[in-house]
Amino acid sequence: MGRFIIIGERIHCISPVIREAMNTMNPEPILKRAKEQLDAGATYIDVNIGPAEGNGPELMSWVVKLLQENFNNVPLALDTANKAAIEAGIAVYNRENGKPIVNSADAGDRLSYLDLAAANDAICIALCSKGAVPGSLDEIMGFCQELLEHGMMLGMDPTDMWFDPLFLVAKGMQDKQQQILDAIKGFSDMGLNSTGGLSNVSNGMPKELRPIMDSAMLAMSMANGLTSAIVNPCDRRLIETMKSCDILKDNYMYADSYLDL
Amino acid sequence: MPFKLTPQPFKAAIKEVEVGSGEKAIKLGGEKTFPFYTFDAPMPNAPKIGVEISDLGFEGESAGIKDFYGDVTNIVEMAKKAAAMEGADFVVLRLEGADPNGANKSVDECAELAKAVADAIDVPLAVMGCKNDEKDSEVFVKVSEVLSGRNIMVLSAKEADYKTVGASAGLAYGQKVGAESAVDINLAKQLNVLMTQLGVKPENMIMNVGSAAAGYGYEYVASTLDRVKAAALAQNDNMLQMPIVTPISTETSTVKEAVASEEDMPEWGSQETRAIDMEVVTAAACLASGSNAVILRHPESVATVSKLIKELM
Repeated sequence: MGRFIIIGERIHCISPVIREAMNTMNPEPILKRAKEQLDAGATYIDVNIGPAEGNGPELMSWVVKLLQENFNNVPLALDTANKAAIEAGIAVYNRENGKPIVNSADAGDRLSYLDLAAANDAICIALCSKGAVPGSLDEIMGFCQELLEHGMMLGMDPTDMWFDPLFLVAKGMQDKQQQILDAIKGFSDMGLNSTGGLSNVSNGMPKELRPIMDSAMLAMSMANGLTSAIVNPCDRRLIETMKSCDILKDNYMYADSYLDL
Repeated sequence: MPFKLTPQPFKAAIKEVEVGSGEKAIKLGGEKTFPFYTFDAPMPNAPKIGVEISDLGFEGESAGIKDFYGDVTNIVEMAKKAAAMEGADFVVLRLEGADPNGANKSVDECAELAKAVADAIDVPLAVMGCKNDEKDSEVFVKVSEVLSGRNIMVLSAKEADYKTVGASAGLAYGQKVGAESAVDINLAKQLNVLMTQLGVKPENMIMNVGSAAAGYGYEYVASTLDRVKAAALAQNDNMLQMPIVTPISTETSTVKEAVASEEDMPEWGSQETRAIDMEVVTAAACLASGSNAVILRHPESVATVSKLIKELM
């Protein structure tokens, strides 16, 4: 297995600074956040432009070119409900350092995002849900099977579908956490890649607790075979945990300076 | 169903490092496969052989070595002969005379000799020290300086002196620096990280991850070499992708199989044959585990290992 893959989540239109930068096509705030994330250890950068119903294709291709030209063709996850915007982004995307990721398909209304990924030789995040919180492990694995079969019928390589078990907030859904870990184990046993919005787990907790809870979830998830996560790479504790787990899983050779690498 | 060969080269590659200049410059590394897995992808550069000579001459060496160098009277002449040896790709000048507990030659004297040797030969030069870290680092700094820009190989920087040796050879004077560790993969990687943090470019570095004669802990050497190559290629670990240069003769020439006389050990046969055999088997094993160059002493070992490499390419 290769090293764990961090998809940096901080270029997101929910952030007022980024939303403003996207509205005015101002490169500086976007470049600054991308650099911070790459310096901190992100491999992929997620580009969330929101629904972008007006100028989605134009905006996505602008951001893709902006980031790849400034950061040595950094690989990107294209994150929007606007399919035309994803296609426009892929059209200008340079694959030198990795395929683009379509974020995301699910087993319900968003199944056709797999078709979009297959048609464009992209990786696709495959959320194992049909809109609601999955009720059981069997249900998650059933959705996984549906997504996997759909993608393979379209000619996708199974490793190009990154399965998302749907991370849930611990505060209020403590009883669901083991089920998520079991799902990750299930994906891993099938030889599949996985990812997800891991920091959901600490939603609603005091700010100082979130890195602790996220790091614990990351370590447990990696132990069960999680291969990637969509997180804030500027969370130092989380990145240190990821790097330490990569050592313990023998994904990466130990050296005293491993946290610097 | 007929067998269908599916080549499986890695996406990652060992870095290609050039040593020396001109027509006889050598390139180490560059491969995207395990050693000699030419069915997966061609090895762009065959492993190379360095011929080791000592600044103290060849007194005390075996008859075959003495015969080869014949009546040469100085080290420069000896180096020219070594460079012309069948199968030799580069010459390794071992400055053992620098040892403060031995001949204790001055730093300037060592540097002068290295310069004279480099000027006399047409193949690339590597220098080794006397195993006294303090003296070696002084010698390496001076040798790097007088041969500035000549792209020699300095063997090696260790944990104790990497700052001095790395900064002079690798940064100031444009040489290739060896990072030496003693059969410890984590330290091998750490030393590469530290040298890189110092500013030495990975393409100016090679590694000596340690060696041992066959029968003297060689299993650890093999496993270290194997794991370095596996991490470099399968995990794309860019802190372990430097080519590996392994000194063989300095290890094999001191073990009892090589030094016990035929009078003491009649049942072991010819002492010289034993010394050659130790060199050849250890070198062959290192090459099979991933050394991109080996350093040998005996002309017959050099010829044999050179033939082996040619046959396997």
